This record gives sequence, C-alpha cells and structure tokens, in this order.
Amino acid sequence: MFGRVGSERVVGAAWGTLFTSILAILIVVGSRNLQHFDAALVGYTFAVLFATFAITYRYAMWLLRPPTKRYWNRGWQLFFSRRYFATNVVNWFRRVTADFALNRFIFKRNQSRGMAHFFIMWGCILAFAITFPLVFGWIHFETLPGDLNSYRTFVFGFATTSFKIHSAVAVLIFHGLVWSAFMVIAGVMLAMRRRMLDHGAAALQRFAEDFLPLVLLFAISITGLLLTASYTWMQGYGYDFLALLHAITVIFTLLYLPFGKFFHIFQRPAQLGVSFYKDVAAKEGMAACRRCQQEFAPLLQINDLIEVERELGYRYETDTPGVEHYQRICPACRRSMLGIAQGELWRNGGLGVGGGEWEKSNHLSPTPHPPRPTPHSPIRID
Amino acid sequence: MARIGNMEFFLDPNRCIGCQSCVAACSECDTHRGHSMIHLQYVERTISVQTVPVVCMHCDSPTCAEVCPADAIKRTDDGVVQTARKPRCIACNNCVLACPFGVPKMQTEFSLMMKCDMCYDRSSVGLKPMCTSVCPSGALYYGTREEIEHLRPRSEPINTFQFGEQTITTKVNMMVPRDAGVQHVDVLSAMEESPVGNAAMLDSVFDDM
Amino acid sequence: MATLPKEQDVLAKAWGPHLNRMEGPRLDTGVEPDKIVPTHCCFCGQQCGINLKVKDNLVIGFEPRYDFPFNKGMLCPKGVKRYLQGGHPDRLTTALQRDPDAAAGFSPMAYDAAIARVASEIERIQSTYGPNAFGVLSGASLTTEKAYLMGKFARVCLKTKYIDYNGRLCMVSAGAANKKAFGIDRAANPWDDILKAEVVLIAGSNTAECSPITTNYVWQARENGGKVIVVDPRITPIARTADIFLPVKPGRDVALFNGILQLMIENDWIDHDFIEKNTTGFEAVAEHVAQWTPRRTAEVTGIAEKSIRAAAELWGTAKTSFLMHARGIEHHSHGVENCLSTINIVLASGRIGKPYCGYGTVVGQGNGQGGREHGQKCDQLPGWRDISNPAHREYIAGVWGVKPEEIPEAGVDCYEMMRKIDAGEIKGLLLICFNPKVSLPDNAFVTRALEKLEFFTVIDFFLSETAQYADIVLPGSLHEEDEGVVAQVEGRVIKINKAVDPPGDATQDWRVIQDIAKALGRSHGFTFESPREIFDELRVASKGGVADYYGITYEKIEAQNGVCWPCPTEDHPGTPRLFEPGSSNPIANGAGPFYFPDGNARFVVPAYRPPAEEVDESYPVILTTGRVVSQFLSGTQTRRIGPLVDQYPEPRVEIHPRLAQKYGIADGDWTTVESRRGTITLRAQVVTSIRPDTVFIPYHWPGRKSANQLTIAAQDPVSKIPEYKVCAVRLRKSEKPADDAETTAPDAARSDITRGGTDDVARTAVQQGR
Repeated sequence: MFGRVGSERVVGAAWGTLFTSILAILIVVGSRNLQHFDAALVGYTFAVLFATFAITYRYAMWLLRPPTKRYWNRGWQLFFSRRYFATNVVNWFRRVTADFALNRFIFKRNQSRGMAHFFIMWGCILAFAITFPLVFGWIHFETLPGDLNSYRTFVFGFATTSFKIHSAVAVLIFHGLVWSAFMVIAGVMLAMRRRMLDHGAAALQRFAEDFLPLVLLFAISITGLLLTASYTWMQGYGYDFLALLHAITVIFTLLYLPFGKFFHIFQRPAQLGVSFYKDVAAKEGMAACRRCQQEFAPLLQINDLIEVERELGYRYETDTPGVEHYQRICPACRRSMLGIAQGELWRNGGLGVGGGEWEKSNHLSPTPHPPRPTPHSPIRID
Repeated sequence: MARIGNMEFFLDPNRCIGCQSCVAACSECDTHRGHSMIHLQYVERTISVQTVPVVCMHCDSPTCAEVCPADAIKRTDDGVVQTARKPRCIACNNCVLACPFGVPKMQTEFSLMMKCDMCYDRSSVGLKPMCTSVCPSGALYYGTREEIEHLRPRSEPINTFQFGEQTITTKVNMMVPRDAGVQHVDVLSAMEESPVGNAAMLDSVFDDM
Repeated sequence: MATLPKEQDVLAKAWGPHLNRMEGPRLDTGVEPDKIVPTHCCFCGQQCGINLKVKDNLVIGFEPRYDFPFNKGMLCPKGVKRYLQGGHPDRLTTALQRDPDAAAGFSPMAYDAAIARVASEIERIQSTYGPNAFGVLSGASLTTEKAYLMGKFARVCLKTKYIDYNGRLCMVSAGAANKKAFGIDRAANPWDDILKAEVVLIAGSNTAECSPITTNYVWQARENGGKVIVVDPRITPIARTADIFLPVKPGRDVALFNGILQLMIENDWIDHDFIEKNTTGFEAVAEHVAQWTPRRTAEVTGIAEKSIRAAAELWGTAKTSFLMHARGIEHHSHGVENCLSTINIVLASGRIGKPYCGYGTVVGQGNGQGGREHGQKCDQLPGWRDISNPAHREYIAGVWGVKPEEIPEAGVDCYEMMRKIDAGEIKGLLLICFNPKVSLPDNAFVTRALEKLEFFTVIDFFLSETAQYADIVLPGSLHEEDEGVVAQVEGRVIKINKAVDPPGDATQDWRVIQDIAKALGRSHGFTFESPREIFDELRVASKGGVADYYGITYEKIEAQNGVCWPCPTEDHPGTPRLFEPGSSNPIANGAGPFYFPDGNARFVVPAYRPPAEEVDESYPVILTTGRVVSQFLSGTQTRRIGPLVDQYPEPRVEIHPRLAQKYGIADGDWTTVESRRGTITLRAQVVTSIRPDTVFIPYHWPGRKSANQLTIAAQDPVSKIPEYKVCAVRLRKSEKPADDAETTAPDAARSDITRGGTDDVARTAVQQGR
C-alpha cells in the first residue's frame, strides 16, 4: 500500500544474513571447529540456518510496519526509562511466569485449549533444548577416562557434570525426547479433538494455518518415538528409514516455522513490551474524550496511534470545533454519534418526535435542542 | 466459504428499541459463545430512550487491522473482518482505540481482542447471523439486496461514512432515507445534534403544567 | 396455616431466585444436540416460534424458527434466554410440605402422599364448610387444555363456584369492552393488517418492551408510508420516533378518545354509511362527546391541544388504519370505558373488517387469549359460554356428563376471592400458574388474606413468592415439558410441543389435577391420557360457542402454522380477520358482520370518570406501573435467568428532572415513594421521557422491591381489573434501605445509563439500560 516494500526487503534480508551468520559462527565455535559436529545431522543444521534467516527476515519486515515499529521502539524506550525500570523488571518476571510459563491467559480462554497449548509448548521447548545443542555440537557426552560406567557432559567443549550410565538421571536425560514427544502428542490430541468437535473452530479454521502445524508436530513426535522403539526393542529394525522419515518431518517443520502459525512463537513475546507500554502510558496521563469529557485511554497511546494512522495514510483529522482528530473521541461516543447522525437523517427526512415533516406542516415546532450532553452538565429542567 | 454470496447486512439504528435481544443472542453464536460482541449503546438515557446497536461494519480497508502491531486481524476473502487471531493478538488495544465505529472489545482477562465476525459459523454456511435473526425491530437485517429494496421502499442502503477528512467504505450497509439524497453518513455531524426525541415530552404536554 | 415457615431471606436462600447462566453443555460449542424441537416461547401473548435444542433431556439452547410466519425467527431477550429456565438449581423436583422445623422451611415428601394430603384437606374443608369454601386460582400462561381442565375441575370435581384466574389482571377490560361493542373478544385482525395501515394508533402499549416483535410490524407500516400515533405517559422506545406523541395523564384516556371523536364529528371525518348500516348507538355517543372540546380535552388529559387536533386529523382522514391498545388503558377502574372509547373512534371511522383496517388488543400473557376462552373465568363456560345462560349450561353439562343444575353458579373475580378469603368464606385454596403475592395490588392485603387460609396448596415448578405460603407444594411442569395449544395475540391457535421430560417427581400439571381428582374418588371426567384427548373434548365443548374450536386439530395447526378461531368445521380454514362478509359468525348468522343477533356493532357511551385515587396535597404525584423488556410478569421465571437479571437487575423509579428537582433527587439517589398502602425505596432514574407529574415503577419484583406495595385495589366494576396504572403517591429523597443487598456498584450502573457504558474493555458489569 505504501511503496516502501523494496527497501524494507533489503533491510530484512540484511538482518537475516546477520543472524544466520552469527548462528553459523556459533556452530563452528561451539563444536570446536566442527570437531564434535555429527555429520549425519548436516541436513538439520542447514534447515535451522535457513529457518533462522527466514524468521529474522520476516521479523524485521514485521518490525518495519508503522504500528509495530512504533510500539517496538516505544516499548523498549519505556522499559528502560529510569523512572519505571525497577517496576518494569519486577513486572517482567511476574508476566513471564504467568503468561509464558503458565499460559494463564490461554487457560482463561478455554480449559482444553489451555491444556493443549501447555503440553505442546513445554514438549517443544524441551525437545528444542535437547536437540539443538546436540545438532550444533554444542553439547556432547564422553565416557570418563577410566570409568566406562560414567558419562561427562561437555557444553561448548567445556567439561561440566558427570553421571552414571545406568542411573535414573541417565535414563531421564537420554530419553528426554521421548518425554517431550509424549507431551506434544497429548497436546496435539487435545487440540485436534477441539478442532474436530467445536462448531466455532470449524467455521474459522483452515488446513494450512491450523491443522498442518498439528499434523507436523504429531509426525515429528511419532517418528521420533518409533526411532526409540526401533533401537530399544526391535534391534534397529527399519532404523535408517525411520531416521530419514523423522529428518524429513523435522526439516519440513523448520522450513515452515517462519510462515505459518509457528511464527507466533517469535512474535508473541512482543506482548510483554506492550504491557509495559500500557503500564507506563497509563501513568503518564489519560486522554479525555472530546465529546463526553471522560478519560478513556492513555494519552500517549492516542498520540502514537494518531501518528501511526498518519504514516499509514489515514486522515481522521477534522475541523469540527474542539475535536481536532477523530481519534480523540472515545469509542462509546463514536457509537452514539453513529446512531445520532443516522437518526438525524431520518428526522430531517420526516420521521420522529418533534421535527417530522408532518409535525412541521402542522406547526408543531420542537423546543430548542438542549446543550450537547456531558456527564457533568446539569439536566435541562425548563 | 463464500456462501455469504449475495447476502448482505443492513443496519438501521433509528429502528432500534433497545431491547437487547441482539446482545442476548450474540452470546449464543458458536464463534464467540458466552461473549456478546454487539454493542447496544444508550445515546444519553437521561434525555432520550434512543439506542444504537453497533456491529462490526467490516470495512473494506479496516483501520483496526492496519494499526495492529501484531498483524493479528485478518479479513476473509468474502470481506469479513475476523476477531484477532488468538496466537498473535498481544492485547495492545490499538484496534479498540482506532476503530472509527467503536467496535472491537478487549477481553483483558485473556489478552485477546474479540469482535463481531458476522457470526461466521452461521454466515459462512448461508445462515443469518444471530442478531439479525432475532432483532424484533428490523434495526439489524440480513438478506439480499432485492429483499431489502422490497421491504424498505423508503430506505436506501449506503456504505460510505465520513469521519473528518477520512472516508470509510464498509461491507455492512446503513439505511438512510431514500429521499434524503445523501451519499454518505457524516458521523461528526452528530457533534452538533442532540439525541432524537429529547424535547418531545415538554412539547406535547398541556401548557399549564 | 398458610404463613411463611421461615423468614423471607431464609426461604430465598434455599429456594431462590438463584441465577442460571450458560455453562456446561450450554456453553460448550462442541456439543451436538440430540434433537431440535419446533415450539413457541413460554412468555408473552405473541407466542413467537422458536426451535429448542435438546441434549440429554436438557434444553441447551435455541435456533431461530425462521419458518413461523408471525415472528420469522425474531425473538426478544426473554425468548433468547428462555431455555435457561430448565435445568435450574431452583427447580422443584419433589412435592414439598410446609415444615418450620426444616432449615429451608419446607421438607420434601412423596408425591402420592402429597396428593393424598391435598385430597383429604379438600374433603375436610368442603365437608366442614361446604363446597364453596374451597377455591381455585389459575393462570393464563397454561395451555388451553389445562385452562379448560381447571374450569372443569373446579365445577365438576370440586363443585365449587370459586374459580378465577390471573388473566383478571391482564386484559379483561378489553375483553369486556369487545363483548359490549362487537359481541366477541378477540383481536379483530391478523397482525399483517398493520403492515399497510396509513395510521397506526398505539394506546397504552409499551410495544417495544412488552410485545417487541410487534415493533417490526409498526416499522414496516411506516416503511410503507404509514404514520404512527402513540398514547402513553412515557416516551417509550416505540414513541420516540412517533409522528404524533400524546403523553396522556394516567387515567384520562376516555377524555382523550372522546375528544378525538368530537373533532372527527365536528370535521365530518366519519364514515356515515358504515355507521348507518353496521352500528347502533352512535347518536347517543355523539351527543355525549360534544362536551369534549379540544380545550377541555387538553385540560383533562394534560396533552397539548395542538397535538390532540393533529392526532384527530391524522386518524380522521386516513383511508386505512390499525388501532391497538394494551394494559396502559386497560388497567383502570374504568378500563372498560377506556377500551370502549377507542372502539368508538374505530367504529366511527368505519375502518374495521377490511384489509389493513384493524383493531386489536395486544395480549399480555402467553395464553392470555386462549386462557380466557374456555371456562376458567368465574362466570364462563367453554367456548365463551355464559355460566348464567341455561342453554349454555345445558350444553356443557351434556359434554361433561353431569346435570345442568350440578354446575355451580358464577363465582367472583380473583381479587374478590382474596377478599372472601380475608372474610373467612373461602378456607382452602388450590393455586396454579399465578403469583398473587407479587402481581396483585396492595401486597399487604394479599399477604393478610393468604395467611388466613386453613389449607393452601400450590402447583408450580419454582417456589414462587406465593408458593412460599403453601402447606403443600406440588411439583408441576415447565412449558417445554408438556404439549398443548395456546391462542396468541391474533387469535391464532398454535401448538406447544414437548421437548424434555419433567425431572424427578415433577409432573405435567394436567396429570397433577387428575391425580387429585382420583384421590378424591371423583375421577369421572378426569381420566385423560394425553393433552390431545383433553383438546378433543374441548373442541366439542366449544362447538357452537363464539370461541368455536371444533374444526381445529393438532394436525391442522401444524399444517397451517396455526388456525385462527372461530373454526366451526374440520374443512374450515379458520378466521384470521373478523367482521368480514361471509366470515363465520354463529350469532348474527348473516344479519351483519358483528356478533350480535342483528349483526350490528354497538357504540357505547364511555363516560369519563377520574381514577379511583386522585392526587391531592398529601399525595401529589401520580404513580403508574408497568414492565421492562427483560422481565416477565411476577418474574418467577425471568428473575431466575442470569442474563435477563443482568439487563435490568432491580426496579428503579423513573422521575422527570423537573419533579426530581423539586424533591432534590438526583439520578441514582435512593428515593422513597409512599402511597396510602405502602412505601418502597428504590434508586431514582431521572429521565425526560416521563410526564413531569408522574413516576413509573416496573412491577416484576417481590417484597421490598414490589411496586404493588403501593398500588390500589380499586377495580373496574365490570371487568374487575385492578387499577395498576394510577394511584397517588408522595416522594422523598432517602437513604439506602438497611436490608438492601444490591450487588451492582451504583456509580457503574449510573454511568451505564448515561453513557451506555465504556465497555471497550469488556466487563461483566450490568447493562442497566433503562
């Protein structure tokens, strides 16, 4: 709509290249010059690099949209403002716990939706936390010299803790992906059930946007579990085929990340910024409606919104005295005004008490209009 | 999906009797069950019983969607502007403050903007939205253009609204007097006017009171 | 021993009203209904079609019934949320006996034992004091089958003359006036005749709130070029955009319509030909109204003279018109005259019995029409027969298989029954579908009367404020738990279909009545197996009467989406429009269009009488009462439905700012309204939409919030309707009542009224509209 798309793309691509390069360097460094890099996982690595580029590119493009840009900048600015920084930090921890860790707001929308999201989210986080460092060679395990029954964990090539090979800890750690797969499958089942039964969802959902992600997560989880089953109980029957299948599902999902529903994983944290914006803006003073004089929104937000609308090409400016810009009227008054404006057309057209054409022709002139209502103005008594 | 076909939404607030049937029925719709999306606005109860039912007008170029920093508000191919996409909405309230008709509702409790979606579960399969089904006054009507022309010979549907310098065109139609010859509704003209019907009582009672 | 077993608040805590809301399967959008039952709304007289969604014997929601021609899917908020009356925590699922020792004041008992107890008490009272010592009060929300059965039960089984019903509070004034003027009591026209009327005159009907669907008919008339005249002391939503608004001073309707008729005669806006051929009595009326000059009419009615003249001209010169009225002109000690005065301007115009030329009264209760046709009125037998007419008695005695002399004589109206209870003449009472504790005027008297009963039994599905006085409560059925017919506002007989079974021991009302008859050992004539069997007997009982149902069958109702009576034979399509040439008329038999032997309508002189209680120095303000859209009658059902209570949680007193200023009352202030009979303290709602000499209180609430603490028990001498619409009160600014348990923050509610709320951030706060 506004012809800046070309230059925006360049900027987006630049950011994408930068982040992808950083990740590539980290892979090289973290795996000690690819010393601990598992060549079998090269497909995964390239998929991740591509996803990184695409996500960064899209994120950058997104941030360049006038509203996003404004709230992004404003959010950081207000977060770090000296006056509110301490409160902001406290609130940050509170919100990260409630909204991100516990998904409290999703549970409030709907219990089953909340459960589904909670399982899928934590299953995925766990799986990612295990897989990526392994794929990039950032974590590897070595048997302790002289103790074949113990493993030592290396992070970025640095030795850390060690544990017994047959200990419960080991079972827990080496089957981490199994646990995460179970969580994801449970979540996917809940989500699928809702999507298949719920009439509201049925009207709105689309395959690519709503079902594909669930199918992908299910495919990854089930092929991953089959891999475990194959080497644990079936002497590796069909292992190579399953590994390929699993790789395909994972790589496809990585490539899909930037485009579909999964992009919300990266976008959603902006909610935090917005909440700080709202906190601070409200403390900085409220805008009073130019029609009813009642406060209705943070003045800062109204001013920002007016700027954003100008950048987008909207012209809600008005020369109506005392209004200046339509956004300075509260939503409740906007609704009233819509009704009044339409009602007046009918009244002038011949309808209505005190002013219809029939009454006019019979000299039934209405008494003059009272002053425009405000909550504080006294009621006309005469 | 495009079952909406030649069905259109026609709004005539002047007919509204404030019964709130629309509000009651709105919460029965499956896309937002338990939540009423329609607004029933009392213009100024002290001086008038005038009420305004406000549904989403489904703008051709929706301000709410354009000012959304999260790109969460989508318009379907058949022109229906949907509730914010749940994974994306960051509850910033921009849409609520930007909508020229005052439509979106912020559900602060679960960080989501919800709005009238023309009962998409119904309209997308050829059924009438809930509010237009029950409205006893015909203030909210859903049907074909032929039907409305037949039913409302004195009225004309228009879909252009003026807010200061800004012109907004919408999918939903507003009924205006056919002989008024207006091309658009100038919403800010309401700054000059008082609610219809306010002076009637004192004008019609016997003078000696 | 009909006193409250516990304090009111203890009873309320145990038995409600509690609020039912959308939850469980009613909120779950993944539930597929087992079936969808086409039926009708359980509330007002318009009887809108509705489809109920049923899952596991619970009504979980509704779907608009687009194919029912009267409402085409439209519903008011009560209709939308009606399904929440089922599956309700307050629902009575067992019989109850009064038990002051029980924590809840009542203890459950076996259904059969309860029936036996009722029968033995009836036996005892009737054998001690005579058959007339036991009375029956019934209701007009019952299906016609049940209403018929109640009349038969009182006369044949109990052999008591004392039966009456709550339709007495509804539209009997209109009924009596219609009988006097037309010889038949039914809306004269189908509502489609409103659509192309040049003038629609609405008198005393808050159409937008009490019969919301009718609004669409009025607005459609206006789309077709029609004009609207509204007569009401308040600018109701239908009046807001009216072409002419006549804010009549409560109780002065006769003066207004006589004044209009005087102008019609003076300007020769009358149909001489019609008057000559089809009416009698015009000269006397013309002579009488000559005194109602515009000036005098203005002085008495409190309406500006120019408005009266304008209305008379608009009405007088129209080619087609529709006049409708409701409780606003009927609830008066001269309600019959009020209605006659409107009928006179219809007859003088000659605009009746033709397309788009109509007259009708807007029925209030669900079966307000059908419930007053078949014999639960104190002076009436089925088919609108007269209990004092020997021929009628003989016919009905034949149908019932009794001797004519066994049928008791006429009894008295329901308020007079209360007086007879108070006087000790009636000792026992069976009550169904009626909540007189809330709905009758002068609450204090009604309470005193109820407390004098030796035995009081109530059939109900909730423990209503009246049922709280009962010795035995029998669990009855909800609307959706039974089938049967009702007659709606147009006189169209329609079919209520059963959607779910009654829960627990709850039993369909007609079965309860028959069980009592059986326990009394008088089951002859009370062995029906289904509502259809009752209906078939009713058809025969009504045959040849004015309200002739003989040709109506359940199948025909379904096939035609309703049948308008009179319908004398099975091949007769019914009679949507009365008074047309050739339409069914067993009285005139071709002599003329109206239901008198000579076929002529009667002009009746409506002499102006002021209300029973005029304002004076001590009580200088007029009180008028009425309804709000989200509540229905005494609120037994609607005060238990959460979303409806949210919409208008408690009554407010509407005051014009000019009057409010006189008493220093601001919007939202606690205000005490006091009459000679009681006081009420409510929040004020200061609005310019009411006459400055009048205050308004809606009447749906009990106890401290009951508007009927104030109203006067003055009654119309003919129709016996109480004068709900006028009494004298005084006002004062007041404090919050000590026992007030309001939950809404007043400021929030207040800002909602003035601004409609700032609910851009959604909230659950109350939408306290009006």
